[in-house]
Amino acid sequence: HPDIAITDNVLHFKAQGHGAKGDNIYEFQIEFLEPVEPKPVCRVTQRQLNITVQKKESNWWERLTKQEKRPLFLAPDFDRWLDESDAEMELKEKEEEKINKMKIESRVPKDPFKHLKKGYLVMYNLVQFLGFSWIFVNMTVRLFILGKDSFYDTFHTIADMMYFCQTLALMEIMNSLIGLVRSPLIPAVMQVFGRNFILFVVLGSLEEMQSKPVVFFVFYFWSIIELFRYPYYMLSCIGIEWKPLTWLRYTTWIPLYPLGGLAEAVCIIQSIPIFSETGKYSLGLPNPLNVTIQFSFLLQIYLIALFLGVFVNFRHLYKQRKQHLGPKKRKMK
Amino acid sequence: FVSHQVEILDWKTKKQLCFLDKVEPNATIREIRLMFHKLYPRWYPARQSIKLDPKGKSLRDEEILQHLPVGTTATLYFKDLGPQIGWTTVFLIEYTGPLFIYFLFYFRMPFVYGLDERFTSSPHPVVNLACICHSFHYIKRLIETVFVHRFSHGTMPLRNIVKNCLYYWGFAAWLAYYINHPLYTPPSYGKKQIYFAVIMFLLCEAGNFSIHVALSDLRRNGSKTRKIPYPTKNPFTWLFFFVSCPNYTYEVGTWISFTIMTQCVPVGLFTLLCFIQMTIWAKDKHYTYLREFKDYPSLRMPIIPFLL
Repeated sequence: HPDIAITDNVLHFKAQGHGAKGDNIYEFQIEFLEPVEPKPVCRVTQRQLNITVQKKESNWWERLTKQEKRPLFLAPDFDRWLDESDAEMELKEKEEEKINKMKIESRVPKDPFKHLKKGYLVMYNLVQFLGFSWIFVNMTVRLFILGKDSFYDTFHTIADMMYFCQTLALMEIMNSLIGLVRSPLIPAVMQVFGRNFILFVVLGSLEEMQSKPVVFFVFYFWSIIELFRYPYYMLSCIGIEWKPLTWLRYTTWIPLYPLGGLAEAVCIIQSIPIFSETGKYSLGLPNPLNVTIQFSFLLQIYLIALFLGVFVNFRHLYKQRKQHLGPKKRKMK
Repeated sequence: FVSHQVEILDWKTKKQLCFLDKVEPNATIREIRLMFHKLYPRWYPARQSIKLDPKGKSLRDEEILQHLPVGTTATLYFKDLGPQIGWTTVFLIEYTGPLFIYFLFYFRMPFVYGLDERFTSSPHPVVNLACICHSFHYIKRLIETVFVHRFSHGTMPLRNIVKNCLYYWGFAAWLAYYINHPLYTPPSYGKKQIYFAVIMFLLCEAGNFSIHVALSDLRRNGSKTRKIPYPTKNPFTWLFFFVSCPNYTYEVGTWISFTIMTQCVPVGLFTLLCFIQMTIWAKDKHYTYLREFKDYPSLRMPIIPFLL
């Protein structure tokens, strides 16, 4: 067991060893030129002993020992020798490696349409943002001016713009389909079809539904969510991230998405009796296909699917939120 | 002669369930199952899944102990497959249901179409024809189950029967409701459509029966090994030249003909689901054949000649 210690900047070494002249006790002392850490790290192998001593201050020494003459038993290991010029060269090498790497990466074929694609996506998200902003502002102003009365003719004033925005939203499916956007296809399809079903089929085809107050809430919740979603996408297309917006985009859905789903459910529930009475989109006997289609029944099934869908999607969005917001929280701690 | 020892552990808890001493090296897994059953009477052999690896496949009854990669002390894992029911029993229940359920609608029981229409009969001959065909189909299936089929697995889990019955019985009720409805509309192309459908129906049923007989002949001696089925002198079996599972092909054909005969969307929907299910089964079987036999005829497709 070697006896190694540093006192007053002097390394003391004493150990028993088996050498050329048999078993002996070996010892030496080295006084360092400048202050060192008092705790050396020692590693013993069969053939040698490695002692690592740390300098108190990181700088270049003229020599190792305080005395000017180098001790006879001390020989430098030039494999590990490092002086100022050596270190500089090492740094330069590392920098060159980095530049080479970047050159190789840029040799990967650049997408010639990259800017065109980005431009299109930014435009799309911008147009949608403007559309939904118009809807939101319009509805809010009318709410302030008319109060509850604005509920009843929401559809009348807002529907055209909503038709436009939601029809345009079909492009989102296309974007996902052709790989322009990295987000998965099925959730996009479900969202667009779900909303358009409510908008065009449940509300659009029944005049009676259009004057119901629930329309206000459906449109309002849809537009608020989009107010955060589309700007976030716009910025991420350009590669900018505005942290408050990210937080809003990944947090505001928590109350809004279930509320939106609830409003849609109320819409469907209110429309079921109307479809039952008028028999719209329903097929009764006798007919050459020998089948009956009760649209109100299909709506009831859709209602169950809606609740399941909202539930599943909620969990998925929550996971997404943790991914995008979580790690940063840990850093702040 | 070295006698083996077998220890059987629970596949999940790895707890030792039994230790069999002095087992003959040429003992089969069936015999081991019987020995296990003696110790645990509630786990009859059909319910036991015995495997070499906790997550592996179940060993077959015919496997011999000394041919397994185990050494003189074998460690096997047991998994309870749950209550089992024999295939024959399952088929009998599955097929008797639709047979009688259809009659409830054909004879117009009062609770089906209301008291005004009770026990009336339809003015359309095609409705009677449909009843005959539907019943013929299920009676044929029952006869095949009892006399023709030879099953490779003896049993299936009990909960499958609930699922299967709901499906078969439910659909039978749904399509019977519309065919036997007082407001039923006969096919748009009249007698031509009906005669065509009947002929197609009979041909497909004959084909289906021929294939089942041919397949059962392959296992005449009670052997459980798989053999490649080949066309025989019966022209209906010549479909084997083109298809691995002609019984499924004919079955889909039967239901397509029934759809044409009744011109009824629920029947069409049932046909579509049958087609999807049978395509999955046919593909499975086809790839199993390909894996087991290097000289499997290359012209054959799983279910539709040249296409699928």
